[in-house]
Amino acid sequence: MILMILFHWFFVGLTAPFLIGVIARVKALVSGKVGPSLFQPYFDLIKLFSKQCVYSHGVTWVFRISPAVTLAAMLIVCLLVPFGSLKAPVQFSGDILLIVAVLSLSRFFMIAAALDTGFSLEGLGASREAFFACLSEVALFMCLIALTLLARRMSLSGMLGADSPLSWNLLGPALLMVVASLFIVMLAENCRIPVDDPDTHLELTMIHEVMLLEHSGVDLAYMYYAAIIKFFIFGAILVPIILPVQTIFPFINTLIFAGGMIGLAALVGLVESSMARIRLNRVRNLLLIAFALAFFGLIVTLWRGAL
Amino acid sequence: MESFLQIAWPVPFGELALKIDPLSLVFLCPVIILLICAGAYGVGYMRPYWGKRPLGAHVGFYLLFALALLLIVTANNVILFLGAWETMTITTFFLIIFSDEKEAVRKAGFLYLIASHCATFCLLIMFFLMAHFAGSMDFTVMSKVGFPLELAGIIFLLALAGFGVKAGFLPLHVWLPYAHPAAPAHISALLSGVAIKMGIYGLCRVLWIVGILPAWCGYMLIIIGVICGVMGVLYALGQHELKKLLAYHSIENIGIITLGLGVGLLGRSYDQPFLAVLGFGGGLLHVINHSLFKGLLFLAAGSVISKTHSGDIDQLGGLAKTMPVTSVLFLVGALSICGLPLFNGFISEFIIFFGLFQGVLALPLLGVIFSVLGIIALALMGALAIACFTKVYGAVFSGQPRSIDSGLEYSKTVDETTSIWMLAPMIILAWLCAWIGLAPKMMSGITFLGGACLARVDLFLIDMSRIYIPLSTTIGIAFLFSGLILGLLVMRRFILGAEPQPVREAWGCGFTRVSVRAQYTASSFARSIIDLVKNILQARQYGAKAGGYFPLRARLASSVRDVSEDMMFRPLLAGLTRLSRKIDARRVLYTQMYLMYIFLFLIFLLVWKLR
Repeated sequence: MILMILFHWFFVGLTAPFLIGVIARVKALVSGKVGPSLFQPYFDLIKLFSKQCVYSHGVTWVFRISPAVTLAAMLIVCLLVPFGSLKAPVQFSGDILLIVAVLSLSRFFMIAAALDTGFSLEGLGASREAFFACLSEVALFMCLIALTLLARRMSLSGMLGADSPLSWNLLGPALLMVVASLFIVMLAENCRIPVDDPDTHLELTMIHEVMLLEHSGVDLAYMYYAAIIKFFIFGAILVPIILPVQTIFPFINTLIFAGGMIGLAALVGLVESSMARIRLNRVRNLLLIAFALAFFGLIVTLWRGAL
Repeated sequence: MESFLQIAWPVPFGELALKIDPLSLVFLCPVIILLICAGAYGVGYMRPYWGKRPLGAHVGFYLLFALALLLIVTANNVILFLGAWETMTITTFFLIIFSDEKEAVRKAGFLYLIASHCATFCLLIMFFLMAHFAGSMDFTVMSKVGFPLELAGIIFLLALAGFGVKAGFLPLHVWLPYAHPAAPAHISALLSGVAIKMGIYGLCRVLWIVGILPAWCGYMLIIIGVICGVMGVLYALGQHELKKLLAYHSIENIGIITLGLGVGLLGRSYDQPFLAVLGFGGGLLHVINHSLFKGLLFLAAGSVISKTHSGDIDQLGGLAKTMPVTSVLFLVGALSICGLPLFNGFISEFIIFFGLFQGVLALPLLGVIFSVLGIIALALMGALAIACFTKVYGAVFSGQPRSIDSGLEYSKTVDETTSIWMLAPMIILAWLCAWIGLAPKMMSGITFLGGACLARVDLFLIDMSRIYIPLSTTIGIAFLFSGLILGLLVMRRFILGAEPQPVREAWGCGFTRVSVRAQYTASSFARSIIDLVKNILQARQYGAKAGGYFPLRARLASSVRDVSEDMMFRPLLAGLTRLSRKIDARRVLYTQMYLMYIFLFLIFLLVWKLR
């Protein structure tokens, strides 16, 4: 059990930054540049871990504890998500609720830490984060309900096909809408374009990055690592639904999973290269579209069940 | 398990009886805990009034109020219940109007009194119907009678109207946001923690007595829960006054409780005992949890207000440095009310969520639709509550005081010299929140017992491991989580070394030395959410933006109106006043006419009876 947990963390910690490197490389290639190394996120993390923290005047313990809470939350969520043939160390009926709640806890501390500095820029980011979280959480729950009904199970591992994968032949239309909705939620939750721009630091229209303005050194490394792991988690939830292929060879399963994750990262990179960040007051429309997609997915599911 | 204790004593024309069954027990826990904690807090809170005010009367009413609460929960007889109910209403009125030199306080008190008495009218009719059909005033006897479905429906509606006023169901909640801020802090804590729960207790008792209800009752409860919950938290987001905001959050939590009861009722109607126990048990656990964390929050808010003499969130700030203990306690309450892991709110919301997902899988199509509605609403409430409480914590305890004139002055004078009488009750409540959050076995056991009592099933016949295993795994994960946080903090310490890290001017994109007024305020924090729903909330903005090249003074104020007050009750009451004026104008001014009316009425009665 403990070995499984440690191995799970080890696996995530080692492979997650690579995905961010893939996204950056795809974006560079599309715009005709060579781009940074695929391992650049690792170098960034190592650099940050070797730096001191600088705190601003007047911040309290909430600010100092929030990076640890955020990273711990992501590591906890990891334990409930299966990675390909690597089964989730903890799975129980209703674990989806725990996932959402732990994500919310990390969000609470991130917002509280941003407000703790008392700076209006960070307040701006915090306010937007709180607002978009309301919409994306509702869409996420809609997806989870649809998946519960499709898989007739209440644990994430069950939904992602630990014992019987969801079949595209049988559930095609509903599953397609749920996947599209989850993809939008993933973009929003991970602060990718078109909702937020993870690259710029000074633009006043940002959400996630602006909340990290006052974090530095190891604290920033924690936050950065947490964001990377969060992307990995959402990818690991999406990929098994899109590619419900299971062979009897664990090695091939892992290869399929890894290929799917890299493909998903490349897709995110393509989305980021092909569109601009949309205006802030239209983000809510995008999230409401995600909600509507999941809603229609649910209706199709219910209608199938009624037949 | 029928009951733990039964006492009966004969009185002329009948018999009064006390009984403690699992349902009473569930409500007794928060009543006793909160009465003790709020009482102790009151000793410290009322110290400045010693010798200046008739505190003896206040204490007397407090004790009478306590007695009434205990009687309501344990009464097993209609007469005793109604007597205690009225005693509670009247004593609460006197407790609310402690600062009766302020007109707003007197108005809030009268609003409460009038609303409560309109509610009691419905209760009288309801109990009359029940007692008439059952032929007894005794709750136990009544519960053995099978009420016909139509009568059961009418009784249910009357109970909703009567107990709904006390509980604060949405259009009937108008007294609540006025009474809570008007009362002293420990009374607000009791009002929100216990008094409005008596409405829920009454509703539960009726659900217990009337064993078979039509299926629409469950759906109706879910709809009420959804409306109360979502609207309550939205109204709370728009408030600028600390205690009023907490009062609106009580409406939200009542919504969550009602949602749980609705799920339980659906389970009972569709013969799904596990679902029924989950719904009722989750709702009842949230009753206990809400009184603990809302009591804590009101007491902490009272400490803030008694120190700064201001409840205006947009003026406060930076109190985490001057009142560190209170700020930690408030944060515990905030985390609990948002339903986040490690604290008690999560446990009850987890059980209700679990029940709703169970409903999605087990109920027929209509039930599935309502369960989905419930899940979505609960998710939305959770996210909005996080927005609301980060707003409160951030605005009150973080940053720096926002008002130049009064703020800077209090930031120097406020210190943590809160008396032990005020701190100890808050620490106890915070500890209980964490205790239920990390070791929920005992409390959830009691509430599941109460839930089984409401669901009218034997708990031993249901496979409760289906909920206990997820719960215990969740608790294990919570411990791992806190260990991990600690581990990461230690790791940071290990990497950075023991010497303290440098503290510098905040970077803030290069903006340094900005005025404290330029901090993000609570209203601006909530604005993007309020803007999305401004048509529902009737959000208004007054004042003008600064314009031109050399802007002069500008002023902006915003407010959120209560729709049910402005659009329902004001027009309704205005119409009633007009109607009574008209009747008054037609009044006949000589006595013979009245004699004739009486005569005609007697003839009518005679004909009616002779028929």
